[in-house]
Amino acid sequence: MTTTYINWMRRMRNRLLMAVALLLLTSCNQSARPLTIAINAGVEGDALKAAAQEWGDKSGVPVEVVELPYSNLFEKLLLDLTSKTGAYDVVMMDDPWFPRMVEGGKLLELPTPDADFLESCLDVCRHPYKTGKFYALPYVGNSQLFFYRKDLFELQHLAEPKTWDDVLAAAAKLRFKKTINGKIDERFGYVMRAAPGNAAVTDFMPLFWAYGGELLDAKGNPSLNTAESVAALEMMLRLGKYSPPGYAGFNADEVSAHLLQSTAAMSINWPAWIAAMDNPQKSRVVNAIGFAPMPGARLPGQAELGAWLLGIPAASHNAEQAKLFIAWATGRQAMKEAAVRGNPPTRRQVFLDPDLLRRFRSYPMQLKSLETARPRPRTTQWNEIENVFGIAISKANAGSLTAVEAMAQAQADIAAIVARGGK
Amino acid sequence: MKSFWWVAPAVSVLAVMSLYPLAFLVLSGFHSSSGEWTLQNFTRMASDRMLGEALWHTALFVTVALTLELLFGLVLALLIDSVRRGRGLLRTTIMVPMLLPPVVAAVVWRLIYNPQFGLLNGTLRAFGADPSALTWTNGEGGALWSVIAVDVWEWTPFVFLLVSAALQSLPQEALEAARVDGASRWRVFFDIELPLLKPVLLLAAMLRGIDLIRVFDQVFMLTQGGPGFATETISLYIYRTAFRFFDFGYAAAMSILLLIIATFLARRLARQLRPQA
Repeated sequence: MTTTYINWMRRMRNRLLMAVALLLLTSCNQSARPLTIAINAGVEGDALKAAAQEWGDKSGVPVEVVELPYSNLFEKLLLDLTSKTGAYDVVMMDDPWFPRMVEGGKLLELPTPDADFLESCLDVCRHPYKTGKFYALPYVGNSQLFFYRKDLFELQHLAEPKTWDDVLAAAAKLRFKKTINGKIDERFGYVMRAAPGNAAVTDFMPLFWAYGGELLDAKGNPSLNTAESVAALEMMLRLGKYSPPGYAGFNADEVSAHLLQSTAAMSINWPAWIAAMDNPQKSRVVNAIGFAPMPGARLPGQAELGAWLLGIPAASHNAEQAKLFIAWATGRQAMKEAAVRGNPPTRRQVFLDPDLLRRFRSYPMQLKSLETARPRPRTTQWNEIENVFGIAISKANAGSLTAVEAMAQAQADIAAIVARGGK
Repeated sequence: MKSFWWVAPAVSVLAVMSLYPLAFLVLSGFHSSSGEWTLQNFTRMASDRMLGEALWHTALFVTVALTLELLFGLVLALLIDSVRRGRGLLRTTIMVPMLLPPVVAAVVWRLIYNPQFGLLNGTLRAFGADPSALTWTNGEGGALWSVIAVDVWEWTPFVFLLVSAALQSLPQEALEAARVDGASRWRVFFDIELPLLKPVLLLAAMLRGIDLIRVFDQVFMLTQGGPGFATETISLYIYRTAFRFFDFGYAAAMSILLLIIATFLARRLARQLRPQA
């Protein structure tokens, strides 16, 4: 019995070896190596996916698109870049990930792009930030906009808000709550997202910068124990009084739902939501939303940049084709097509294209916002810093910490992260 | 030697699927991000305030959810057992939440809990109440309880299933004898049924307890650990540390701690399961 079993094991081993040899032979015989592109599964990725298929048809190079949800994309890319597997030839990166992904020669250097790209988008593709060589090219030019109910502002004879104090005053005036026939009808003056992590930080940064706050000083140490930081958070908490209950757990979906259902009058939002606002099937506020530059306070307002970049892993097996694809995809014509599919461009000339200006009423404001937009601090530890900063902001908004306590907690937590290394 | 060859495939599968990852986990815990041997990942745990909070939330989650699931599961099983007609239909209906994938259940509850547009507050509003203070998963005070409620809703049927099966196999002679002797329903339950159901209740507690210590899906989908840090559990914290911050060493060290806690609790319950001498 035992001998039969051993013989069976041997036969299986031989068959396995033959199969592996056959697989190796067939793989060596392939003529055109496919270009593998890792993209974000979402509106930004959809346009790139379509572009990749178009480029594949034109160039004759087979293209494989790997779509990954936002939360998985970062981990998959970083694992691939760190272990140099060469699984992907082109990678789509959110701009805060770039410092972590470029360090240690994980991405290939790219040629200097032309001057049509917006500077704010190009700066985040350089390593070191602003001054270094290019290791990516900007594909999607997202930056926050200030959304407000133009119709309600006109009705109440309110001017477009220029400062956060204006926003607070307008929020107080636009808030109402009535009971009609036993049913509650209410509208909130403002709505924001303050769920921990990315959500809270994203909505807080424009306030924080407007009040003169800086998260990291020139040496990379946290600088949150300041009057400016506390003043910014206190303003956020004052705005919270005019926001829907439970906003400390809100993400983008809830904020946009309030705008779409006409139950909130103002918010910070991303251009990706504009299409939904003007879609009669989804929105009760079609053409009623106005877009303004980010309000200021002690300093002029600045929106947060949220660009998507394209880069090539150093271990790519198809680097030359990858370079050709990125140059094509970020070219003026391909970017215009991506814009039609919903991606905000990163080229000035695409923003000024008459066809697109007719189609997208927010483009002039998007361009204005993008020109002065500011990226999140350029640090390899951003994910960790954003997490603890977001927790402190969320806790303050939930009412369990004061503004001073929240900033002190964030200061201590970020200092510990920075001390662990890799500033 | 002959016996070795018979168990070899099973041992190899076990080694590859279980022992190798465990060994890798332990080794990772003793390595820094630069690849040097270190104890820092373990010493760091002592001063990590967020780990302490995550452990506290997990302990609260396990204690409350497990107690409620065992209680409701037992009560439901006893009630359904006493029903004469439609028992099968009732059993199937009760099982539905458990059959849903946890992620789907969490998405459904996220919609139900939405303070402005959700079903719960919407229903209250329809009856003329003002539920604006009820923020469910969005309020720091109620978030953890709201997530626990979802877990109880989803996994009580599991306890119900085990207890129902055990009730079917109880020795009818003992129950009949007690009833003939004039024992009340409560007396029969506490003196006969409950002691006989103890092993199955302990088994349910062990299986659910292990699952609850690792709770992830509901928290991730409903609150992502928020608002603030109100619902962050140990599994979520480990996930974030490993896959958002890429600090595999520290995530491995925390996983080892979690493994030790889970093993300790499981062993204590398993000891209770052994037949008494």
